[in-house]
Amino acid sequence: MSNVMLVLIVLGLGVIGFVLGRGRAMSAAGGDRRNLHSLPMYYGANVGLNAVVPAMLVLFAWLIVQPMVINSSVSGMIPEAEIAEGSNLSLMMSDVRRVAEGLDLAVGQGAMTEAETRSAGEDLDGLRDNLAGVGVALGSDITDSTFAAAQRYRVLAGTGHLWKTIATITASLIGLAVAYRMTSTTFRARNVVERGILMVLIAAASIAILTTLGIVLSLIFNTVEFFRLYAASDFFFSLSWNPSFSGRGGGSELGILPLLWGTLYISFIALLVAVPIGLFAAIYLSEYASKPVRAFAKPLLELLAGIPTIVYGLFALLTVGPLLVSVFGRDGALGVDWMQGGTAVMTAGLVMGIMLIPFVSSLSDDIINAVPQAMRDGSLGLGATHSETVRQVILPAALPGIVGAILLAASRAIGETMIVVLGAGAAARLSMNPFDAMTTVTAKIVSQLTGDSDFASPEALVAFALGITLFVITLGLNVFALFIVRKYREQYE
Amino acid sequence: MEDMYQMDRTMSTEQDIKIRANGVQVYYADNQAIKDVDVEIQDKMVTAFIGPSGCGKSTFLRCINRMNDTIDICRVEGDIRIDGEDIYDPRVDPVQLRAKVGMVFQKPNPFPKSIYDNVAYGPKIHGLARNKAELDEIVEKALRRGAIWDEVKDRLHAPGTGLSGGQQQRLCIARAVATEPEVLLMDEPCSALDPIATAQVEELIDELRQNYSVVIVTHSMQQAARVSQRTAFFHLGNLVEFGDTDKIFTNPEDPRTESYISGRIG
Ligand SMILES: Nc1ncnc2c1ncn2[C@@H]1O[C@H](COP(=O)(O)OP(=O)(O)OP(=O)(O)O)[C@@H](O)[C@H]1O
Ligand SMILES: [Mg+2]
Repeated sequence: MSNVMLVLIVLGLGVIGFVLGRGRAMSAAGGDRRNLHSLPMYYGANVGLNAVVPAMLVLFAWLIVQPMVINSSVSGMIPEAEIAEGSNLSLMMSDVRRVAEGLDLAVGQGAMTEAETRSAGEDLDGLRDNLAGVGVALGSDITDSTFAAAQRYRVLAGTGHLWKTIATITASLIGLAVAYRMTSTTFRARNVVERGILMVLIAAASIAILTTLGIVLSLIFNTVEFFRLYAASDFFFSLSWNPSFSGRGGGSELGILPLLWGTLYISFIALLVAVPIGLFAAIYLSEYASKPVRAFAKPLLELLAGIPTIVYGLFALLTVGPLLVSVFGRDGALGVDWMQGGTAVMTAGLVMGIMLIPFVSSLSDDIINAVPQAMRDGSLGLGATHSETVRQVILPAALPGIVGAILLAASRAIGETMIVVLGAGAAARLSMNPFDAMTTVTAKIVSQLTGDSDFASPEALVAFALGITLFVITLGLNVFALFIVRKYREQYE
Repeated sequence: MEDMYQMDRTMSTEQDIKIRANGVQVYYADNQAIKDVDVEIQDKMVTAFIGPSGCGKSTFLRCINRMNDTIDICRVEGDIRIDGEDIYDPRVDPVQLRAKVGMVFQKPNPFPKSIYDNVAYGPKIHGLARNKAELDEIVEKALRRGAIWDEVKDRLHAPGTGLSGGQQQRLCIARAVATEPEVLLMDEPCSALDPIATAQVEELIDELRQNYSVVIVTHSMQQAARVSQRTAFFHLGNLVEFGDTDKIFTNPEDPRTESYISGRIG
C-alpha cells in the first residue's frame, strides 16, 4: 500500500468520523440542535480532526524515523575492509539501497520471482544484468556483503511498511473512537475544534520555517566543509577569482571580492536606472494620473514584472549590448573605444534596472496612496502647489516606505542571475570601467556547480560559501527594509 | 429718517463685503449637498455657520477656498466672489487663492514633520521670511496665537504627529495663521479642545477679527453666540436663515432655526 493510498484512507476515515460525530450529536440532542452546546458541524469536525491529525503525525514521524533505523541496522553488515578506495560508507549504503530498489522493481515488473531474488546471491553478475534490464544501472560490482545487506534492507523495509500502515490506521481509528465517545450534548466541541484548527495552522507555519532552517543549515554545513579545505581569509580578502578545473586540485584562487564588486556595481547601476524612473512613474500614477489612465497604466507597468528574467537576458545580449557597443565601442558613435564587447556591467545594469522599475513603482505607488488625503488637503489649503505638496509633504511622509521598496529592489538586484550571465559576461574582474565585462556572485555559483567537478572539491564547495555570503547580504537588506517599512506604518496611527 | 438709516447701512455693508456667494450649488456626483445658497460675508467680522450634521457646512466652507477641486466627484456651480473677483474664473490660480484664504480642517492634520516645520511650512513656501531669525519669530508668534506655545516651546523639533488631538488642532490653527491669510476658514476648530484651550482659541478669533474676516463652523450654540457677529443656519443643504447673531439667537424668523437653536432638531 503506497503512502498516498494510506493518506487517502485516513482522510476517508476523517469524513466518516465527521458524519458519525454529527449524527451522534444530533441524536443525543433528540434532533434539536438548540440542545447542543455547539453547532452539529463542530461535533462532526471534532471527530474528523481526531481521526486525521494524530494519524498523520504518526505517519510523518514514521517516514522520518524508519530510514534512519534501517540504515543504522544495515550499515553494520558492511565490513570496514570492503569499503573501496575513494569511497565511503554512505556511498556504499546508497549502492545497497539501489540494489534493494532494483530487486523490488524486478519483482514488481515480473522480471524475477521472489524465489529467484533469494537465490540471486549465487550469480551476482547475472543479477547485475537483470537489474540493468529493469532500468537500475549500478556503477560498481555487487559484492556478497552488499547483496546480503540489500536483502536485509528489503526485509526490514517490508516489515517497516507493514507496521507503518497498521500504526497509522490504528491511530486514526483510536482517534475516531475516542472523539466519538466524547460526543455528548454538553461537550464543548466548538472550543476543541478552535484549538484543533490552531494546531493545524501552527503546523503549516512550522513547516515553512523548518524548511528555511534546513536550507540555511545545509548552506552552513557545506560552507564549514569548504573552509576546512580553503582558508577563509583567502576567500574573503583575496583579490582574484581564478578557479582551476584541471581536477588536480590546488592552485585555485577563490577570492569573493571581484565577484562581490561585480554584484554591487551592476546592482548600483540597476538602481540608478530603476529608482528615479520607478519613483517618478509612481508619483505620476498616484498623484497626477486620472482614474482611467491609472487603471490602464498601472497593470501595464506591472506586466513588466511578469516577464521572465531570461527574456530580459536575451534583450541584454541581443539588443542593449550591441547598441552600447555601437555608441561606446571602438568604431562607435563617440569614437571612444571604452567598450570591447557587448557584455558589460553597463549592459546588465541597464537591463536589470528596467526589470526593477515595476518593483519600485508599484510598491512606491501603494505607499504614496497610503498617505492620507488629509495631508494633501493640509498642504494645498496653505497655498502650496501640487508639486510642492508632493515634494515637501507626501514624499517625506512616504519616504521610509519608499526606502523599504528600494531596498527590496536592491536585494532582488543582488540575487539576479540570468541577466548577468547573458549581459555581463563571465570574467571576474576588479575594474572601475562600467563598460568592462564582469560577473557576479550568483553567476559564479551557477558556473561552479554546473561544471563536472567533484562535489567534494573546494571549487564546487565554494558555491555554498558564496551562497551564504549572498544570503547574509540580502537578508540584512530585507531585515533593514522591513524594519523601515514597519516604522513607517506606525506613523498615522 | 428711517429710510435714510436703512440706506446708510446697506451702503456701508456693500463696501465691507469680503465674500459674496450667489446661487451656489454643490453636487457630489448626483447627490446635491448645497442648494442655491446666497451668503455675504463681511470683512473684519466673524461669521458662524451652524446646522445639523451633514447639512453641508463643511462643503460650503470648502467652496470658498476651492478645496472641493481636489475631490473628483465634486461639482460647484454658481458665483463666489472675494473682493469682487470671481474665484471660479479660469484665470484665477487656486494656489494663490488658498494662500489668501486659509483653512483649519475639521480633523487635525499635522504633517509628519517637526512642530517647527509644520508651522514654518506656509511661510517658507510663500517666502514670508528673509532669514532664519525672522522665520523663528513668525513661528513663535503663530504658535502663541494658536495658544500652544507654552506647551511646545521646549520641543519644537519633536514630530507634530506626536501631540495630543487637541494640541494637534491648535498646531493646525497656528499653521494656518502663520501665512497671514486675509480670510480664515475654521471647520469646528474647538471640537477637540478643553474649555481653557477653547477660550484661548476664541480669544484668537476675536483678535484676528481686527484684521481679517473669519468664518467658523461650530456645533456649539454658545460658541457661535460668543464669537460671531453674523450667523448662518444651514439645514439639508439650504441656507435657512442668515443675519446678525443676536437676532438669530434671540428672535429667529424661521421656525426651523428656532427649533434647532432650542435643541429640537439636529
Ligand atoms: N467627499 C464626499 N463625497 C461624497 N459625498 C460627500 C463628501 N463630503 C461630503 N459629502 C456629503 O455631503 C453632505 C454634506 O456634508 P458636509 O461634510 O458638508 O456636512 P457638515 O455639515 O460639515 O457635517 P458635520 O457637522 O458632521 O461636519 C453629506 O450628506 C455628505 O454625505
Ligand atoms: Mg463638517
